[in-house]
Amino acid sequence: MYSKRLLDEFRKTGIDIGDRVKLVSSGVEFEGLLMPRPLSGDQDIVVLKLDSGYNTGLKADTLELVRKAQPKPAPPQDKGDELRARGGIAILGCGGTIASKIEYKTGAVYPSITPRELRMAFPALQKWDIHSRQIFSLFSEDMNATHWRLLADAIEDEIKDGSEGVVVMHGTDTMNYTSSAISYMLQNLPVPVVLVGSQRSSDRPSSENEMNMLNAVFSATQDLGEVGVCMHATTNDDFCHLHRGTRVRKMHSSRRDAFHSINARPLAAVDYRTRRFERLSDWMPRRKGGLIAKKEMNDNVALIYVHPNIKPSLISKLDDYDGIVLVGTGLGHTPTNAFDDKSVKGIIKPIRELISSGIPMAMSSQCISGRICMRVYSTGRLLMDAGVIGDGADWTPEAAYAKMCWALGQTKDRNEVARLMMGNVAGEITERSAIEGY
Amino acid sequence: MKIGIEIHQRLDTTKLFCNCPSALSGEGAKPESVIMRRLHPVMSELGETDEASQAEFAKDRAFEYHTFRNNCLVETDEEPPGLLCPEALKIGLQMAIELNATPVSEVHIMRKTVIDGSNTSGFQRTAIVAVNGHLDSSKGSIGIPMIAIEEESAGIVSASEGKATYSLDRLGIPLIEISTTPDIKDGAHLTEVAEKIGLMLRATGKVARGLGTIRQDVNISTEGGARVELKGAQDLKMLPQYVENEVARQLLLLKLLNELRERKAIPVKEHMVEFSDVFRSAKPGLISGGIKNGSAVLGQKLPEHEGILGMEIQPGRRYGTELSDYAKKAGVKGIIHSDEDLAKYGISEAEERAVRDALGAWENDSFVLIVAPLEQAKKAMGFVLERANMDYVPGETRRANPDGTSTFMRPLPGRARLYPETDVPPILITGELIASVERAESLEDKKSKLEKLLNKEMAGRMLKSRHLHLFEKLAEAGTDPMLAATTLEDTVVSLRREGVEFSDLEKALAELFSEFSKGTFVKAAIPEVLKGMAKGARVDAVLKVYRLQKISGKDLEAIAMEMDFDMKAIMQKYRLQVDAQEVAAVIKEGKKEQGKDFI
Repeated sequence: MYSKRLLDEFRKTGIDIGDRVKLVSSGVEFEGLLMPRPLSGDQDIVVLKLDSGYNTGLKADTLELVRKAQPKPAPPQDKGDELRARGGIAILGCGGTIASKIEYKTGAVYPSITPRELRMAFPALQKWDIHSRQIFSLFSEDMNATHWRLLADAIEDEIKDGSEGVVVMHGTDTMNYTSSAISYMLQNLPVPVVLVGSQRSSDRPSSENEMNMLNAVFSATQDLGEVGVCMHATTNDDFCHLHRGTRVRKMHSSRRDAFHSINARPLAAVDYRTRRFERLSDWMPRRKGGLIAKKEMNDNVALIYVHPNIKPSLISKLDDYDGIVLVGTGLGHTPTNAFDDKSVKGIIKPIRELISSGIPMAMSSQCISGRICMRVYSTGRLLMDAGVIGDGADWTPEAAYAKMCWALGQTKDRNEVARLMMGNVAGEITERSAIEGY
Repeated sequence: MKIGIEIHQRLDTTKLFCNCPSALSGEGAKPESVIMRRLHPVMSELGETDEASQAEFAKDRAFEYHTFRNNCLVETDEEPPGLLCPEALKIGLQMAIELNATPVSEVHIMRKTVIDGSNTSGFQRTAIVAVNGHLDSSKGSIGIPMIAIEEESAGIVSASEGKATYSLDRLGIPLIEISTTPDIKDGAHLTEVAEKIGLMLRATGKVARGLGTIRQDVNISTEGGARVELKGAQDLKMLPQYVENEVARQLLLLKLLNELRERKAIPVKEHMVEFSDVFRSAKPGLISGGIKNGSAVLGQKLPEHEGILGMEIQPGRRYGTELSDYAKKAGVKGIIHSDEDLAKYGISEAEERAVRDALGAWENDSFVLIVAPLEQAKKAMGFVLERANMDYVPGETRRANPDGTSTFMRPLPGRARLYPETDVPPILITGELIASVERAESLEDKKSKLEKLLNKEMAGRMLKSRHLHLFEKLAEAGTDPMLAATTLEDTVVSLRREGVEFSDLEKALAELFSEFSKGTFVKAAIPEVLKGMAKGARVDAVLKVYRLQKISGKDLEAIAMEMDFDMKAIMQKYRLQVDAQEVAAVIKEGKKEQGKDFI
């Protein structure tokens, strides 16, 4: 954003972004196109695109208009197929930059969502029958239960209209919250639902978007009746892994192969080029009997990370939530002061109080991998005794969180919540700990 | 004629956007890991992809990257870049001051799309630091329109159709780019300007040294000809040669074009004929070998081109060589043309006649043959026709060869695709930053300082020497300047020629001169001492093992007496262990004593 002073200056001289201007800075004359300013930095500095193509920042002593920019027709901003097509693979956009266009003049990035734009961005998509639309356009860190619901509704519509499979373009930050939520909301899936993203914005030639997208669409044509996440398997651009939606997690802030399956092997190794859809573990095929939609969600749930120095008051203050998922240490622990030591501040008391007041609490682990077992140490036993559920579950914190939101959307009865939480809906709890799952 | 130069110099700092050291892993080093990637075209705001990129990617190329110890996730494009290396920025500002250029108010980093795989991210990060400078020279002022800081690309290990392999150790090393306006007058002037800029860079003491750390690209335009960019001219002394050869090449091409026009030889119509049948029973050679491997033999007539293909346009390189270089873009090894001695390819007269018959190529016509898999051969022949049909001198990027000639690389690039690097914020150039930039001594100041320490001749040599910085350090540490200078410029250089190298010259010389100041050996022994030190030994060990300890005082007197005070004999035997002046004094004294005996 330019400073008010500069904006006034532009207004006075009739200058807009994109116009050719001339300015003098430190006695040197410059000519170029006026560019928008990034949010950071000195707002009083003019950004010019020089004829060489380079942008640079200049403190302008004088500024004048040389030539107005040619009026450009606005790029077609259609939201895609408004009419829902039948059959084929449905591609739904939630945002993220898996497919976007760059405007070189300003460096701005616009999402590409129409089938035509998608086919231009990914020519290999030609071989599939696709239709697409944008549900909303958000960074995934901005998404919440409202959006999970919107997405579930859209997926249900696509299934009802006869789509053979659904691909969801989604940001990577909270992809596993969404993939878990959808897994609970849409059960007995007759088609695959595959979430896909890319870490590198698609304006970059090295972006992993193409490979991920094509493998996701290919996965959506397979005999799979589950929610999956399709991302790079390794740092190479060779093949992707399809992960179970309730078992996947982003384990690195930036690597291509950031997504790993937790406590399980990925479902499949996928390479559309060689038509490889290699089974790595078992999955449910496309289900018969029709989709079972249970889409009610409760967003008034907290996810609390347990740590040394945690105050009992932090827990007590959670009393206006409808449900809580704790991310405990080790096997599922919090400070409980099992040995009654004067220097320890256990939080078992507020936990017990909240649960007694009707707020269900579930346990997950900061270790991420491994099973919750609160029966081993007195700490865990105290927590179980206070009513914390989760013993025996090997869910990820995010899969547990989305499940609590879902369970509280299905019922208000605390016992029913506990029953729903501890029953395996979509693989978020495994019955046996795979040895190669770590 | 217009001449300009672009100099890229590697800096001696950590990498530009991460904290990795800017060290190369060395010839033949084994990579720590190998990564495979693909790059793909990006859709512009027009909803179209760049045509050139589309063509490039239609090839569906895979890139293999070798990583080494000095690589991190930034270079493998697995982590966003760090902030711009502040030291590199300061060096840029320092050069801006030296070259009378104006620093910009805010440095914006840009991405320049690069699709040949030499950057893992698919672009090179580059930024303008200063503009509008100038350099004085003997033939007038030369403009320095731009000083930029950018990333070095990955080094190519190998390339073939479908795959290219790069080494990532070089990727990300900071480069300073200094370009001039095309106001350079001639070859000698070019050398002068290049030398001066090189000197200024070295005078900062912060540039990388050694082979390949500086690259010069020369732009030459001629009247009636075209603008050509010669990339990678390493040897400054060769610059006038490159200018001369390029100007001559363009003039000869213009002459050649006139001839072709007179003969009505262009445009050439495409008509390719496949000749595997004709060469079915060819003599063992390039053609029969190719056919055995499944290659086709493709031919094309170039009407009225007789003698033209064989015309030399550069020393040892013909017009036919140009066509061959274009063909190589398709990955073939080259072409065979009829102005050559076809016998050397094992082509018989009968076979030649058959080819000419089929192509309808008579006495004044030439033909070109390509031996390669059919599709590839067709593509290559297409490029040959493309070049043959240019009735102008094409603007090209050419590689400067060590022998002063040049080889076609690719057509001149269009406007680079540059867009903002949004992962790195712009950098404000404050007054404090400029003030903090260590003002290197101007060249003039440095020259006068050297002339105070050394004689005029050695001062001139040291100013241009790659050892200048080291000399300054040694002189500052108290070593006698002339001794330091001659050791660096004469001794170390001649030792290097003999194959004696130091992994840390600065450390070795510091130790050498520190020991020397203790008087344990004489000046004449220095080369031998250094030889021993290069093997890794300490000075005292070398002196002992090589018997180089200084002989002086009573020991010297004893020897002098033993050898009859014969200066010549003494110096012959003990040259490396005695100080000549001391010997002379001892002899004088000794003879005096002797004389006394006879009284």
